[in-house]
Amino acid sequence: MSASAPGSARAGAAYGLEALIARLLVAGLWLAMGLVLVGVVLMLATGTDPLDHGAIPPFDLAHIPSEMLALRPAGFLWAGIVLIIALPIGRVMVAGVGFLAVHDRRMALISLLVLLVVLASIAAAIGVGV
Amino acid sequence: MIAGLVLLGGGVAAGAFGSLLGLGGGILIVPLLTLGFGVPLREAVAASLVSVIVTSSASAAVYLQRHVANLRLGMTLELFSAAGALVGGLIAFMINEQVLAGLFAVLLVWVAVSMARRKDPPRAPVDADAAEVAAPDAAEVPAPDAGMGDPADPALVLDVAPAAATGTELSFTASLSGPGYEVHRLPAGMLGSVFAGVNSALLGVGGGIIKVPVMHLVMGVPLRTSTATSNMMMGITATASAVIYLLRDEIDPFIAGPIALGVFVGASVGSRVSHRIDIRILRWLFVVVLVYTAIQMATRALTL
Repeated sequence: MSASAPGSARAGAAYGLEALIARLLVAGLWLAMGLVLVGVVLMLATGTDPLDHGAIPPFDLAHIPSEMLALRPAGFLWAGIVLIIALPIGRVMVAGVGFLAVHDRRMALISLLVLLVVLASIAAAIGVGV
Repeated sequence: MIAGLVLLGGGVAAGAFGSLLGLGGGILIVPLLTLGFGVPLREAVAASLVSVIVTSSASAAVYLQRHVANLRLGMTLELFSAAGALVGGLIAFMINEQVLAGLFAVLLVWVAVSMARRKDPPRAPVDADAAEVAAPDAAEVPAPDAGMGDPADPALVLDVAPAAATGTELSFTASLSGPGYEVHRLPAGMLGSVFAGVNSALLGVGGGIIKVPVMHLVMGVPLRTSTATSNMMMGITATASAVIYLLRDEIDPFIAGPIALGVFVGASVGSRVSHRIDIRILRWLFVVVLVYTAIQMATRALTL
């Protein structure tokens, strides 16, 4: 591919951005799977039946650290699941910043809009729950 | 303890078969949980969405590292698939499980027909990519470290838009193109993405069975790039609806956790052994299983 100097620089930035996102996803995924693994081991060790444990434990972000410190399986499982769900959000945020860094304002705006849709989902979920 | 191990094993099997057959985990996980373990359909969809994000993140990491996915096109279309998922996630709480089960039965038949009509690629290693991209709902999960050290192949760089390469200002649609192909009919892609997002949020699947044909056949994107880009898009699409299920207390961590872990392990194993297995027999066997599952799901829709 022949490219002008600015084009080469921008192409190089795109390479770097993709590599950065890939590293973020790999690191985040391993961490999330590690947390879930600890949660599953604790679940098995405590004899919790995943199919017969009563009501679904309500999700409460603030209680996750204390649950983990108490070595309760739900704390580690929630932490892993939250991290899993957060990974694509992190990917979009990093991409948005990367696009801004190379002055690609249109793609940066699209990244922002994608994040706003996720925020709208959160708002709608809370609104529907009321 | 036994139930936990069985769930974990179910996730491993779903991940391995999904990886071998080029299917997303959702099409397997939702019937496994509902028909196999008696989990309510909405909880099964929620657990499946978590697994879809896992498979998407793992495959997106590899595809981005290898510069196979079109990041710009994917991010543009995922704006619409995420919006569709937002709508689908809200609709899911408004319709009863009978309707959801009926819709899932239709989806199962659709996937079964797609698999039955798929051409068998030769088993030579050179066609591994063809086998991968032939799967419209592919959620291949290579080991997260696979390919991390691969040198970037300039021939595969698909996300550097012509405008970026030449320094000239192009139309937005043209700026989403990659080397060797031009993106066409962006509005059709947007519409298809919205539909895929609704489908994903309602039924807990990746939606690749819609996105890949739209990108490839309608928008002119090469099949391999379409599959890679679709896999990347699944993550944020599933996230947009997963947060709704999460905040509505429909995600059971004791179910979603073991299933996600199992899918991660199973898909990694499946992608490593796929070249040693004759997929054709497995695929036809699976068509039969899908049809049987569709009948069970339809029966559930009629008798719930």
